[in-house]
Amino acid sequence: MTLTRRGVLVGGGAAALSLLALGRGSRAAPVRASPFLVPSVPEVGLVEHVLCRCSFGVAPGDRERLLAPGGRPDEAVDRWIDLQLEPGEEEAGLRRSLGRLESIGQPLGELYEWKPEVLLRELSSAALLRAAGSRWQLREVMVELWSDHFNVDASKAECAWLKTADDREVIRRHALGRFRDLLRASALSPAMLWYLDGRSNRRATAAERPNENYARELLELHTLGVDGGYTQVDVMEAARCLTGWTVRDRHRFRKGRVELDSALHDDGEKRVLGRRIGPVGGAGDLETLLDLVAAHPATARHVATKLCRRFIADAPPASAVGEVAAAFRRSDGDIRTTLRTLLRTEAFRAPEARRAKLKRPFHAVASMLRCTGARTDAGPPLLAYLRRMGQAPFQYPTPEGAPDVASAWKGTLLWRWRLAMALAGGELPGTSVDGGTLMGSAGGAERLAAHLLGRTPDRAERSALASSPVPLAVLLASPAFQRC
Amino acid sequence: MGSLALGGNRDDGRTLVVVFLRGGADGLALVPAVGDDGYHRARPRIGVAARGALRLDHRFGLAPELGELHPWFLAGKLAVVHAVGSDDETRSHFVAQQVMERGGASASGGWLGRWLRTRGESGALGAVSTGPEVPDSLRGAPAATALGGLLELEPSSAWSALCGSLGGLYGRDAELGGAARDALEAAERLGALRSQGVRAENGARYPGPADGEVARRFGEELGRVAALIRARVGLVAACVDLAGWDSHFAQETVVAPRMRALARGLAAFATDLGPLLSRTSVVVMSEFGRRVAENASLGTDHGRGGVMFVLGGGTPGGLHCRWPGLEEDRLDGPGDLPAVHDYRDVLAAVLARHGSVSAIAVFPGHPSAPLAV
Repeated sequence: MTLTRRGVLVGGGAAALSLLALGRGSRAAPVRASPFLVPSVPEVGLVEHVLCRCSFGVAPGDRERLLAPGGRPDEAVDRWIDLQLEPGEEEAGLRRSLGRLESIGQPLGELYEWKPEVLLRELSSAALLRAAGSRWQLREVMVELWSDHFNVDASKAECAWLKTADDREVIRRHALGRFRDLLRASALSPAMLWYLDGRSNRRATAAERPNENYARELLELHTLGVDGGYTQVDVMEAARCLTGWTVRDRHRFRKGRVELDSALHDDGEKRVLGRRIGPVGGAGDLETLLDLVAAHPATARHVATKLCRRFIADAPPASAVGEVAAAFRRSDGDIRTTLRTLLRTEAFRAPEARRAKLKRPFHAVASMLRCTGARTDAGPPLLAYLRRMGQAPFQYPTPEGAPDVASAWKGTLLWRWRLAMALAGGELPGTSVDGGTLMGSAGGAERLAAHLLGRTPDRAERSALASSPVPLAVLLASPAFQRC
Repeated sequence: MGSLALGGNRDDGRTLVVVFLRGGADGLALVPAVGDDGYHRARPRIGVAARGALRLDHRFGLAPELGELHPWFLAGKLAVVHAVGSDDETRSHFVAQQVMERGGASASGGWLGRWLRTRGESGALGAVSTGPEVPDSLRGAPAATALGGLLELEPSSAWSALCGSLGGLYGRDAELGGAARDALEAAERLGALRSQGVRAENGARYPGPADGEVARRFGEELGRVAALIRARVGLVAACVDLAGWDSHFAQETVVAPRMRALARGLAAFATDLGPLLSRTSVVVMSEFGRRVAENASLGTDHGRGGVMFVLGGGTPGGLHCRWPGLEEDRLDGPGDLPAVHDYRDVLAAVLARHGSVSAIAVFPGHPSAPLAV
């Protein structure tokens, strides 16, 4: 890598670095009056690639922050990744915005006091506010990834009340932790027990048939993967291990609490993936089963493939998947270690990987907010766009979660363009972009283009911008902005 | 962009509508084998009594919730196929849907996509899905558009200017260029449709808000398909999803409202089209049926053979099934109705009425043996 800092970026030098005192108000990201750093070369550089792929968009000031400690760009990138993997507090502005969404902090027992539509709306708004405004972008990216991996559709049954707790206690808590902990938290999450019917998986008598729904998805989607080498018998035996785990749905104050009803647990001997579990294992059956599947080589491979698909390419090279899977196994499923390895693979850092991913709709929307420093309440008009594009948060209907390949989302262009138009035209209630200030702080139209495209605009982009009455809309709707 | 071409210049007059019941619809709930004792033994608590079903023949009836489809069966315009499914043994929703929408485990792209390609040219609205996404079955189609709520688009001069710029920028994009062209053309045509409005004809009544959100939306989406067919925008294939059939738990509460939505929606669609129904085929399919025996939570788990319907388009109607019986040794794997008939033999029969296309090109690796549906 021969890039120098000046080669990747131009900008306001010392003035721009003073932007590091960041972030007030409910802005997705702050916009300041002095010019912020933007790319100055026609190809996407390493810094730009890392910032863009590991986030929901590059906000004004992000480049300065990454480069502030000085040194070579590749060293700065490594330092930035390390920092992102140990997230601290959110800034006051985002905390205030989140504070207005009262339900997201409510304990499990209190959630039933809320209307489901309010819970879903606030949870969705919170997701969008964090994606657009958090300084801990890599964590937010991982939260989105695990939310798909352990998908729970909040429009199913009591998930409407319970997904809020699942998001907080399962996904967000363990997003950068250990996979085994995340898996256990999900297995015993009341929302998951409702979503995949684990709560009614019981075998009080030998004649009763366990409900296989969760056990199947545990193997197929959450751990080994569909080609992971398990059989229909493994699914049925795994379901037996999990019988009796249920969610209280009567007692008012204990509603939503998860417990093992031993009378409904099948305590006979089971055999999963060739391993004997029980008899008389009781609650330990679940732990043995999760130990077994979390440590299975197919799980490392399955999770690595997913991570590489998100961070490298729709069809990631096998060598990178192998490297990442090995890191996952070596570290006992430590998500930080695994990510650190991934973000240093040759495949991730190669120029071919840059801007090779189509942003999914949620990403596209969040990045429009983040990159423009929009002021937003992330309210219903914005969420409606996500629904139309088929990626309303926490509402993907089937357990495999929203797909992460371009082909699934190409049909959403029209809606991205409509949103770009509405944002640039100030027609979206609850959200505003101060186009004039943004242009000014970027330092002119060409530099704003470089900020949004991740490189200087080419000839066609320049001429489209020059002739358009709605240049900001053109940039946000352009093919280059749809990619990360 | 050329004229709106609503006069039918690209329309050869036939449209295929595929309704996919996502989640694994229970064939024995839709079309219970009320004349088979095995059925009542396997489903003591969730089964339908013989007198409750609408008679199809000595063995089968339609679920009472599908009542509005019965007249179409009696009139010979609705064919019912039982114990039909895929040769793939997976009981995973995701894999089963993928295999079925591809049209075979070894096929690439979607079966509708391949079919549309072999037919040659197709306009921006040649293939649509009424939902927010284009389903796998349309992968590889020359053009496929997710309608979503596109009919709400309002025209403006700034919008036209934006579309002008984007036409240029996307035109040179190898990956997104085609999708962008489709989007631009679709926006234009839908704008025209929007100014004309979507109104049902022939006294058809689509499900409304009183029928529940699932039914209302299904009806609205079918109504839009009917409007596109009438507007002669060159619609060759439309995909409509009716999801949520995964009835592991308390099956009745999951399946009954969806059956009502299905019957009411399809009956309204057929009525709305009037004489155009003879040129419009509707196929109803699902990724698999469900286990024959009910489970402890009054539901059913993933199975294999299920039910398909074919409505209109010149189908001879009738009930089609080589019934295996429900004795344990006749069942598949953990106790599932086998897939006696292959779903591709139903689709091939319908496709044959929609233009001469080699079934082997659409369903590679599957020996062609169309059913008489």
